[in-house]
Amino acid sequence: MKSLEIGRPIPRVDAYSKTTGQERYAADYYGENLVWAGVKRAGIAHALIKDIHIDDAKTLPGVISILTHKDIQGSNRQGMIRKDQPVLADNKVNHCGDAVALVLAEDKASLHKALDLITLDLEPLPGIFDPEKAIGEGAPLVHEGHPQGNVLFKGVLETGDIEIGFKECHAVVEACFELPHQEHAYLETEAGWAILKENGQLKIVVSTQSPFRDRSEVAEALGINVEKVRIIAPYCGGAFGGKDGVTVQTLLGLAVFHCPGRPIKMWWDREESFLASPKRHPARLYYRLGVKPDGALHALDVRFYYDTGPYDHLGGAVMALGLEHACGPYRISNVSLKGFCVYTNSPIGGAFRGFGVPQVTAAMEQMMDMMATQLGLSPFEIRKRNAIRCGDKNPIGISVTGSTGFEECLKTLEEHYLWKKRNEWKSKAGPFKKRGVGIASVMHGMGYGPVVPDFANAKIELTREGKFRVFSGVVDIGQGNASTYLQIAGAILNQDMAHMELVLPDTESALPSGSASASRTTSTFGNALIGAAQSLKHRVLQRAAIYFMAKEIKEVDLIPGGVNHFTTGKEIPLSEMFHILDDSEKVAAYTFTAPTAKENPTEDQNLRLHGVPHLIFSYGVHLCYVEVDELTGNIEVKRYLAVSDCGRIINPQTFEQQIHGGIAQGIGYALCEEFIVKEGRVRTPDLATYIIPTALDVPEMDSIPLESYEPTGPFGLKGAGEISIDGPLPAIANAVADACGVRLFRSPFTPERVLKALKERENREFEH
Amino acid sequence: MKRVFLPHNLEELWRIIAGEPKADIYAGGTDLLVKLRQNLINTPSLICLERIEELKGVHEQGDEVMIGACSTHTSLLENPIIQRNFPVLTKALNVLASPLIRNMGTIGGNICTASPAADTLPPLYVLKAEVEIRSRSASRQMALKEFILGPGITCLKAGEIVSGIWVKKVPGFNLHHFEKVGQRKALAIAIVSLATLFKISGEEMVEDVRLAWGSVAPTVVTSNEIEAMLVGHRLSRQVLKKAAPIARAIVKPIDDIRASADYRRQVAENLLIRLGSVQK
Repeated sequence: MKSLEIGRPIPRVDAYSKTTGQERYAADYYGENLVWAGVKRAGIAHALIKDIHIDDAKTLPGVISILTHKDIQGSNRQGMIRKDQPVLADNKVNHCGDAVALVLAEDKASLHKALDLITLDLEPLPGIFDPEKAIGEGAPLVHEGHPQGNVLFKGVLETGDIEIGFKECHAVVEACFELPHQEHAYLETEAGWAILKENGQLKIVVSTQSPFRDRSEVAEALGINVEKVRIIAPYCGGAFGGKDGVTVQTLLGLAVFHCPGRPIKMWWDREESFLASPKRHPARLYYRLGVKPDGALHALDVRFYYDTGPYDHLGGAVMALGLEHACGPYRISNVSLKGFCVYTNSPIGGAFRGFGVPQVTAAMEQMMDMMATQLGLSPFEIRKRNAIRCGDKNPIGISVTGSTGFEECLKTLEEHYLWKKRNEWKSKAGPFKKRGVGIASVMHGMGYGPVVPDFANAKIELTREGKFRVFSGVVDIGQGNASTYLQIAGAILNQDMAHMELVLPDTESALPSGSASASRTTSTFGNALIGAAQSLKHRVLQRAAIYFMAKEIKEVDLIPGGVNHFTTGKEIPLSEMFHILDDSEKVAAYTFTAPTAKENPTEDQNLRLHGVPHLIFSYGVHLCYVEVDELTGNIEVKRYLAVSDCGRIINPQTFEQQIHGGIAQGIGYALCEEFIVKEGRVRTPDLATYIIPTALDVPEMDSIPLESYEPTGPFGLKGAGEISIDGPLPAIANAVADACGVRLFRSPFTPERVLKALKERENREFEH
Repeated sequence: MKRVFLPHNLEELWRIIAGEPKADIYAGGTDLLVKLRQNLINTPSLICLERIEELKGVHEQGDEVMIGACSTHTSLLENPIIQRNFPVLTKALNVLASPLIRNMGTIGGNICTASPAADTLPPLYVLKAEVEIRSRSASRQMALKEFILGPGITCLKAGEIVSGIWVKKVPGFNLHHFEKVGQRKALAIAIVSLATLFKISGEEMVEDVRLAWGSVAPTVVTSNEIEAMLVGHRLSRQVLKKAAPIARAIVKPIDDIRASADYRRQVAENLLIRLGSVQK
């Protein structure tokens, strides 16, 4: 078989096992003598806990144990930056999905009966559900002890002089945008399996994006030694950020001590997942943009509010990334950006693919079109005139270095037939249909930012069977990075897939690495893996050279399954090399920490801690064709193009899947996904009411990678996991405005909202 | 745990019903299983009709077609008799739920669930379908329109099942149209739907028309008044615009999580206006 190569579309290693149902997800773990664990949830948005009545449930046959906060030895707090979320609520419930009691039962039926029998004595408190109201005077406090009241975190970034800047402007556009909660809706709901072993080890198999961080979170919240916790992370059946942080881990960790030696399973059903899991932050954004007569962006004033619900989760970091991306990939000299991440009693706002960037991109990219209209420029022209280039200072004052292909993305779009033929296509709309074409620029920072180390440790070993075994430290949450790891290592070691082996993340065998998030998964771990593979390769070749009595190491090289001595043509299988090498030589490890920006846009250490600034950005421009039905208000996305600068591509197929997936999810965010919560109560509790797009709702998509070379990335790569979800909403909004002259400032753009806007426009025209 | 009975013929069915008078009867289960999961079914046992061959299939009998109540949506979608004679029904089946649901769900089930949003009901109303109802000792037939009384309410009595649907062929109607407005293209519950049969003359004149709206009232809405207004005219925008306000007036929609009553009223009207541009 041929050796693996960089830049080739190799089939994913998980493709066969997943499509044939053989791959074992966390949700697939059972075992003999299994205990079912489940949680009683608050069902009310804000209340004091007076009492938790568990006696009736406790005596139910089949019930093993019922636990409350009183049974927790540790801090009973979890969270990644601010630890403010209880494992089991103690004195208060802060949103309707709060966990209050944990039930362990012999079977599912007893579990559900027991959960029904637990009653909560709650004294309702006034709730707060609007982030702007939440920071107003007299608003009920979510966390009494928090020094900034309901403001979890505020970030400010300023460059130039915003007041003078606006005075120098020729035209100014202002708008306010509102975006809803978005639910991840992964196929595999939160699931885990745990056991307390005889040696005292707590073993947890869980659908997670962050095994190493989970380990310390579980240990701290429950007051156990971190060395005793082992997290195993199979492939996730989807995660999108929603499993970046603890879901079932601490609950299982608590449970095992009450039935030692027995396997325990917790698996949320869809409704529980919807109720309790974090969502994309709803946002309200106030934008004011000013330009010079030539269309050069000159001043931008932004103030926005992200509703993080009652807990940080990763809300502060999400808001900070939004702040950093609020200006888009443009040059603007006078900027004032203020972001508020606010506690409320809404569902938890947390990590979701895009991580705060889709909200600001939605606003900024619509502002660009509104400004273009005002100036009589084309949407393309205004972007081209302001496009950021390598060597510029970005709007928050950081020098743009490294690969910066945004201008080339625009150029590629300009030359694409979908752009060139747009007017012809638009002119062919049928009766009662209006056609429009919209574009949106995107940019997305990679990694954790300047303070939290963005690191990975790769380990690779030669096995007795003569294969190279890669220990992945970063979970494959569905995006295909595990396959890419084998491709990277295989390319360096000149092996085919048959001689490569993969071990999925396990805190016992893999080396500590950061989470599968922040568009960093392939970049950071890939860099570490290159180091480890090269190191092992060198060792194997050194020893092979001695074996062949070669004069120098150049005379030998790896071939699939062996080492070849060119001078004599002799070969030695890797399985024999295994015996030649000492155990200490069969393993290589390497660490990589992503570089960070040298410049500093802020003295605010807290903002830096939350990730500002980033050094490396991917860029892109999206285009979509939409057709609006004037009779129903329905928007149909007919065609989509994404031109992306995500550096060099290791596996074009995996890359394209990432871009396509982000577009589809972004179309859902734009058109139909709206997690509705009224006064803290969920109105879209299931997949029948929370509408995600089906295959029929997603158009034919073109993805063109630009393949610039990013010097810091493995083989020149940059992040690609998130950027494509940033563009669809504004591209669609701009296309709708192009089609029928209406702009909706509240998303999603449901047929009802569109029809209402069309009618209002008609009435306005009638009045004039 | 509930007991589930799976009779293979009608004789077996009658025996089981006699022994389990309180059982819920279902066919594909696509509605029942959802309710079961939500603990909304309190009956001690279930009787499933899906294995009774006598209740399946499409039979042509002169100028009439009998559709077995337990025919799945997929089987009807693929059936040449249906395709040939009732394109309006085929069009509705084509946008009913998803292929998976269509493989399980049946036309009899869609009727008996009597959801205001059922996709097959507006076509069956314009086709003036009749339901055949059977019990151990009797058989009766009645207009579908009379059979459905309200959301989830039908004339079915204890011990009875819907065994078939009788539909007269409609050779005079040369234009069949169905439009559904949902929240997405598949797996959508109708917000508004409109089924239409037209008899259009060579001069583009409407000689006859039947209209039925779904999802805008407790049951399917029809209107002799609008139909009469269209007959004898070309489907011009003026004619349709004149009729549209009547559509708005006769529907009685509700607000729900999918759409407001206002939107449904507006769209009920607008779908009528669309008829002017429906391609033959």
